[in-house]
Amino acid sequence: MIVELFILSLVILLAGSIFPLITASFDRRFIRTFSFSCTIVASLLLGMLSLMTLLKGDSVFFILYQPIPGFSLSFVIDRLASFFLFIIAVVSSCVALYFTGYIEHENGSTRRNLLCSCTNLFVLAMVLVVASANTISFFLFWELMAGASFFLVMYEYSQRDTIKAGIFYFVMTQLSSLFILLGIIVLYIISGSFAFLHLSPVSAPLITLAFLALFLGFSIKAGIIPFHKWLPYAHPASPSPVSALMSGVMLKIAVYGIVRFLLDVFTPDLWWGVLILAAGAASAVLGVIYALKEHDVKGMLAYSSIENIGIIFIGVGLFVIFTASSLPLLATISLLGALFHALNHSLFKSLLFLTSGSVVYATGTRDIEHMGGLSRSMPVTSALFFVGALSIAALPPLNGFASELLIFIAFFSSVTVVDPLFKVILFISLALFALTSALSAACFVKAFGSIFLALPRSQESAAAREVPRTMLIGPAILAAACILLGVFALQIFTIVGFAVPLPDMLLVGLLLLGMAVLTYGALYFTASHEVRISETWGCGTLSQKASSEYSGHGFSEPLDIIFSAIYRTRTKNERIFFDQKNCIFKEGRGEIRLLKVFEEYLYRPIAQQSMRLAKEVSRFQNGCLDTYLFYVFITVIALIIFLGWFA
Amino acid sequence: MIEQVTIEGIIRILFVCVIITAAYIISTRNLLSVVSVYALQSLTLVCIALALYFLEGSVVLLAIAGVTFISKVIIIPYFIATIQEKIRIKRDIEFHYLSPTTSLLISMILMLVIYMALSRIVVGSPSRENLFFFGAVLGISLMLMGMMVTFSRKRAITKVLGFLSMENGVLLFGMFVTELPFIIEFLIIIDLIILVILTTILSVGIDSTLEDYHKRLHRFHLLDDSEEVI
Repeated sequence: MIVELFILSLVILLAGSIFPLITASFDRRFIRTFSFSCTIVASLLLGMLSLMTLLKGDSVFFILYQPIPGFSLSFVIDRLASFFLFIIAVVSSCVALYFTGYIEHENGSTRRNLLCSCTNLFVLAMVLVVASANTISFFLFWELMAGASFFLVMYEYSQRDTIKAGIFYFVMTQLSSLFILLGIIVLYIISGSFAFLHLSPVSAPLITLAFLALFLGFSIKAGIIPFHKWLPYAHPASPSPVSALMSGVMLKIAVYGIVRFLLDVFTPDLWWGVLILAAGAASAVLGVIYALKEHDVKGMLAYSSIENIGIIFIGVGLFVIFTASSLPLLATISLLGALFHALNHSLFKSLLFLTSGSVVYATGTRDIEHMGGLSRSMPVTSALFFVGALSIAALPPLNGFASELLIFIAFFSSVTVVDPLFKVILFISLALFALTSALSAACFVKAFGSIFLALPRSQESAAAREVPRTMLIGPAILAAACILLGVFALQIFTIVGFAVPLPDMLLVGLLLLGMAVLTYGALYFTASHEVRISETWGCGTLSQKASSEYSGHGFSEPLDIIFSAIYRTRTKNERIFFDQKNCIFKEGRGEIRLLKVFEEYLYRPIAQQSMRLAKEVSRFQNGCLDTYLFYVFITVIALIIFLGWFA
Repeated sequence: MIEQVTIEGIIRILFVCVIITAAYIISTRNLLSVVSVYALQSLTLVCIALALYFLEGSVVLLAIAGVTFISKVIIIPYFIATIQEKIRIKRDIEFHYLSPTTSLLISMILMLVIYMALSRIVVGSPSRENLFFFGAVLGISLMLMGMMVTFSRKRAITKVLGFLSMENGVLLFGMFVTELPFIIEFLIIIDLIILVILTTILSVGIDSTLEDYHKRLHRFHLLDDSEEVI
């Protein structure tokens, strides 16, 4: 049953990918609608089968195609895989629903058919990666996923920013594939098989090497700092639904990879957990600090993705630490927290990307300083964005709160049991994690405030209209899911068979609701009912102007000052004088620029060194026939010598 | 019949001839004599094939001798001689990487290295095989010497001769070691003839260096009076 459903959904996705490709020359709406309907139907099927597996708890293994013995395209759908299949299903169905409306407003005529095709291919590849039962098919589909997502990022290929983002993304994603391939090869050398085999717990250097390679590969794909730089480039450059898919789902596939290998292949060491925890904590804090500074709405969401992936990695790191110190209960809680946060993040981040896509579509700008006042012209979108912002800021009783609380609980319970050195490490990480939560709340207060509240700060923003209904249904489903997953978190865990120390969020929600009603009622009855007409937050000014409002920059300024050591600005002064002795000032130019620390101190030096090396190597290829003959000559002689003395 | 020892002696003498011709092709600066030396080298190979025929009695060897004689002693040298009549430059004095003297020295070292390498690979072969072993060494050395000619000379025509001499090395190796199937040998010869014919057709530029030749061809398409361009 499950196998048939799975294959059927694969076939539907494939049809949705191939059909617009065949009809690529016809610019018809029904082609694209058909293609996205395929995505939706396949997602529903996938969602169904993943729920069945999740609830029943059994796993299915089957071989799809075996060209040679020892290598096969085989799949396994167990609880872990079906959990991630569920994430893919939910997000891609909502994104596809949104896309049907969104794509008709994109420019690019027939190119849009290719966008449909690539989207389906991308979803297909992600499904196949998650369901892969051996490392080699995992890698193959991983590459397919990388290729499809590259084409999606490059949709607006005529723009300079997109080209830069696309190439950046391509290089990083190939680097990630390279490390994963290295890890897979090392695993093959150790075990002699491509299957996900459990290795013996001996800590051999080869096993450590395999883990490090895989960790690096998945970290690059997940956007862990310092390998995160492709995210803030790729997300603003690609269409919003694509960003939603990439940030909501693709990053989770990297998380899936690392969890799958940790659970099924390795017996992790303690320090692996510390490494994952440290990487996660650093990404979480730095991600949100950079998000605060960002004024491109999609760039901000990209940095926020880095932060949330950091939180997920913190959970995974805790899982490894607790497993290695044989505390299975805490390990389960932290792994559940990480996985639950992965699901939640994919929901609210795709919700935020989709609604911000609507905002960008309505206003034509991505700069939040040029928005404002949209809550009046786009009430539904703003309400949906509000739900997303509440969830990502981890406010009760929404889902972000539930999953972060699980990780917090794991932290708190660990304090009494782990030995002193790790206690210090865990305390530091806990402090950073708490800071992250607070800052992300600040970040989304700023985002929601500057985008939707107050007066419009530009003409485009003032002229914005609510988006069509097709672009509201998808996000609405996601928002509903955010609320439901938060309120019924405890019940859901009970249904799937895990006892977690969460409070009953339904009760919390009802209490909060009651509090709100009480407060409102108290205020309503005690406050004076005299009508007073003035502008909100007007501070006494009679006719308020948009330019005198509290802007996003203004909101984040105190935090900018606190974290100025991290932001690192570069000040440049240029002065020109009339005379040679620099006495009579003619003109000058001053500039304070935010230093892109990782780009300038990490990426660029590496790129320059590799360019230099490449230049040295390219001298061997000088275009002269004689030189090439000379190389052949040298090679032949080397071969003869090798045969004579070393073979 | 002639005695086996005599034939082996003759073959040894012919080996010396092959080495001398190869050395001459490497070191000479006189373009005119290179072709005749190449014809001589091929003729020596024909003689070796015939001698081997007397030793072994295999008809294939006879066929190889015939084909080699027709193609490498008559047809190819004839074509190249036609080219040489057309071109003005009679001397080749431009070199890449190696001067003739160095080439000679290196080829001596090469022969020694190959001898040692092969003797390590083929350990404990009977004395009858000694001749064949020596032939193999010579074949590889001749091939490598031809290759040295192809990359150390700048003139295209000398490169062609170097290539032809390389092929002679392959033939020699094949006769003594691997029993190269006749059909492959035949196909190689056809390749060679086509190569030489092509060279003849393109002989407008054969007197120049290859880099120069590219430019000349380029101009050839743009202007028609290419003969004036040097």
